Amino acid sequence: MIEIEGLTKRFGTFTAVDHVSFSVGKGSIFGFLGPNGSGKTTVIRMLCGILEPSDGTARIGGHDIVRDLEPIKEMIGYMSQQFSLYDELTVNENLIFAGKLYGLNGRELNQRRDEMIATTHLEPYIGRRASHLSGGIRQRLAMACSLMHKPTVLFLDEPTAGIDPVARRELWDLLFEFAAGGMTLFVTTHYMDEAERCDHVGYIYMSKLIVCGEPDELKKMPEVNPSGTRRLDVTCDHVTTALQAVHQMRGVRSATVFGQSMHLLVDENVRRSQIEEKLRGVGISQSEIHEIGPSLEDVFVTLSAKHARGAAEKEAA
Amino acid sequence: MKKFFRGFNAILYKEFIVVFRDRTALFFMFFPPLLQIIAFGFALDLDVKHMPTALLNQDRSLDSRRLVDEFVNTGTFRIVKVVGSADELAATIRRGEAYLGIEIPPDFARNLRARHTAYVQVLIDGSSSTTGLQALNTAIGVTFNDSLTRLVKESGRTGIPVEVRPQVLYNPALKSPNFFVPGVIGTALQLATVFATALSIVRERERGTLEQLLVSPLSRWGLMLGKIVPYLCITMAMAALLFAILRWIFFVPIHGSVVALFVSAFLYIFTLLALGLLISTKAQTQMEAFQLALVFLLPGIFFSGFIFPRETMPWIFYAIGALMPATYFIELMRAIVLRGASLTDFWSSILILAGMGAALFSLCAVRFSKKIG
Repeated sequence: MIEIEGLTKRFGTFTAVDHVSFSVGKGSIFGFLGPNGSGKTTVIRMLCGILEPSDGTARIGGHDIVRDLEPIKEMIGYMSQQFSLYDELTVNENLIFAGKLYGLNGRELNQRRDEMIATTHLEPYIGRRASHLSGGIRQRLAMACSLMHKPTVLFLDEPTAGIDPVARRELWDLLFEFAAGGMTLFVTTHYMDEAERCDHVGYIYMSKLIVCGEPDELKKMPEVNPSGTRRLDVTCDHVTTALQAVHQMRGVRSATVFGQSMHLLVDENVRRSQIEEKLRGVGISQSEIHEIGPSLEDVFVTLSAKHARGAAEKEAA
Repeated sequence: MKKFFRGFNAILYKEFIVVFRDRTALFFMFFPPLLQIIAFGFALDLDVKHMPTALLNQDRSLDSRRLVDEFVNTGTFRIVKVVGSADELAATIRRGEAYLGIEIPPDFARNLRARHTAYVQVLIDGSSSTTGLQALNTAIGVTFNDSLTRLVKESGRTGIPVEVRPQVLYNPALKSPNFFVPGVIGTALQLATVFATALSIVRERERGTLEQLLVSPLSRWGLMLGKIVPYLCITMAMAALLFAILRWIFFVPIHGSVVALFVSAFLYIFTLLALGLLISTKAQTQMEAFQLALVFLLPGIFFSGFIFPRETMPWIFYAIGALMPATYFIELMRAIVLRGASLTDFWSSILILAGMGAALFSLCAVRFSKKIG
């Protein structure tokens, strides 16, 4: 549905997006990840036709985003980061406006509006001004607006930023529903649990796409699982003290805190008893250790560190 | 055609709601023009009447009293103080109690009778040039008239050799409201329109809603027309209100046709709205749009002939005035309201306004970029 080849955007001497290529199949959910300022929004803006690419091409539904933009505009929906709504307009009026913008009229327009209100559960807010809505409701309204014209591809730029966990869960339930109906979804996010739920994820770092694929495949990558190592989850009290202690141990390649536990990447020959002993040495007597596979976060952290090293070496040479 | 103005009805729908829902913005759109026309209409009266005048009459004869009466009878002067010395006369003017001082020396009547020249001293406060000039002209007129009457009497003729019989056309009483108020309508409309549209697109840019519009199949012409039409309706209503104030509050008779008045107003308003819109497409922030609008508005006030006659301006200001829509509208207003001119008498002004409007509007649509950044 979306095919991107060597897409590049330069602003003066700064390259915001550097030869990015990937494709997204029809009816799938593509999660686009990366730190702030890595070029996610720039890619979306180019795909939506409001930013001219400096180089490379992209096609949506077979239409070129530069030469053949008009049919693309009819088939895509876009929900921007700030949930662009008209604050002076009510929920109902925002929806009517969005429909009219795409040429809907009369009964068709009203019917579609009622459908979208039902889908996104906006019934209690119909007559309320957008300025008087909470973040979660605004997000649902913004989504309903972007869906009024029945797009086949929907771009969502950080749809869950600043939204409470319940609203987040509800949004994702809706997204799965849409994907099941054949809609292609392109979602940027910072949340790893959201990324895990995508069919495909792409990770963009320092303007370059450094990895792209199914979450499970990515976790099996050799770079993420260096031979002769294993990953351990250590649950104990005083995690910060424990972290400092294990950092000093030989054979511990990395250690990161995850809530009440820490994730370690250790050499295969490091035994559990050695870790337990080390922790007892700093006064932590109770600890629970078991082996785990890498998370998506591990994948991205490992790959971006490797990429940054590579970029630094290139610069030095 | 439908594709050309794609999305027009959506923008129109939204803009009408937004415009009428934002009561504060609506108030600030109507209030300044109304204040302007009321203030200018009442305060900007350059006809000075009943100027406070001090009198030092050292002669106290019948002749001198008759001369003073003639000064007073013009309606321009009003004796507010009678003083006893020249110093006191000067002090009265310095303190601002009187604007004019008339000093009649002790030998006034004697000189007159002896057929010598009798002198009258007139002190004028020149710190305000317009009123000073008017006082001077009136004072000279009074004494000149008095002298002529005496000469005619002595020569035995029945009348003065040459007499001017002036007939002032169109504004017979030469009242300044009649001259100014039609012009004020021009500057008042300018204020209401340019700011309204100048902020409209840049506001959406700042709020991020513009991005949403650009993603849609909305056409540039649809966007621009949808932005202009609601304001066109509101400002035409405002123009009607201003015309009503002109007619029924300032009692300025409208000699020409009302249709001509509204046709001119329509073209003028459309041009100004398009100018505002053009500013809005170029500006990146509302502040920038506001400042740009001011840059265009001020020459419209100074160089349009609204206050200062364009004919006496240096050529550069005259040329700037020729670029201002206000210049043509004010000219049309005065012609239609005061002289009863028809549109065909002033077809060139109409044509220029229409041309400016069409050019600015096209420029908005053509120059507006459907990309961001």
